Amino acid sequence: MGDSIFKVPGGKLLKIKLTPSEDRIRAIVIKGDFFLYPEETLVALEEFLAGKELDEVTLAADIQDFLDEAGAKLVGAGAADIAKAILMAM
Amino acid sequence: MEEFRFLDLCVYNAYKNMAIDEAITLAIKEEEAPPTLRIYRWRPSAVSIGTFQGMTDEVDLKYCRLNKIDYIRRITGGGAVYHDFEGEVTYSLIVPKGHRLAPPDILKSYKIICGGIIEALKQLKIKAKFRPINDVVTDGKKISGNAQTRRNSCVLQHGTTLLDLDVEVMFSILKVPKEKISDKMIQDVKKSVTSIREVLDRHVEVDELGNALEAGFSKALKIDLVPGALMAREWADAQRLMKEKYSTTKWNLSR
Repeated sequence: MGDSIFKVPGGKLLKIKLTPSEDRIRAIVIKGDFFLYPEETLVALEEFLAGKELDEVTLAADIQDFLDEAGAKLVGAGAADIAKAILMAM
Repeated sequence: MEEFRFLDLCVYNAYKNMAIDEAITLAIKEEEAPPTLRIYRWRPSAVSIGTFQGMTDEVDLKYCRLNKIDYIRRITGGGAVYHDFEGEVTYSLIVPKGHRLAPPDILKSYKIICGGIIEALKQLKIKAKFRPINDVVTDGKKISGNAQTRRNSCVLQHGTTLLDLDVEVMFSILKVPKEKISDKMIQDVKKSVTSIREVLDRHVEVDELGNALEAGFSKALKIDLVPGALMAREWADAQRLMKEKYSTTKWNLSR
């Protein structure tokens, strides 16, 4: 179990609570003062990330793909920022 | 000019305030209510957190309970806000999706709607400007914070404008480790946040700010504010949302 707090340069704050399982995400909670539209996308993203490998580049791409497919807009942070914050929580 | 329903300065507790905002979106979705601007205060004083924030991460619940300060999760993102009954006025602007004030570009829509705050401050002789993503600043210091959601076929933006600021109380409510609340931190906040009374160095009344917000939104957004009231169905939805959502631990402590 690990935590991280990452202030996105020029953006908002990301707070990650990560439960890893070896080199993968077992469970994750993403919190912070960012904006995401529609808001329900966040829980779906957390579920989507369970089981993913803890690799920053791959995670960033996967998160971006997920948001694009969901037609979601993240404001105050980007997919790469979330990936970075997740790795910081290891 | 386009007519908006105007719900003038009123006072409710945190649960009812947030329930009313959502109830209005439901009525607009059903095309039963017109675009609406409401101005309100919070009694008892309350802290609201962004929808993605962790309540216990952000708020000292023990301090809130001891000091009779309500705490609530908003449906909008953004950060924690202390709604001091004596020190701020909140507005909500709710329009159907596709309205000219809420273009798909989210930053653009923040800027457009925040124009109402900037004009209100201008009426009070304060020069302010929009600072992306969601703030209004004067002389580089934040004086208004805003948050927007897009749901129920509506765009809802609500925000706070500070009349007064008590940094010490704010730090007591927000969960900053007490040992870390140094004089420097308090000074840093005082350098980055300000209030109308501080800028003008006089006791601006709540009603004066309320009137400025009414005039400011009307002028900046080119809307005719027609005094109105909530409809019966909005009151019913608000009561239900208050009971089933906003006053519940399940919602408020969900993260």
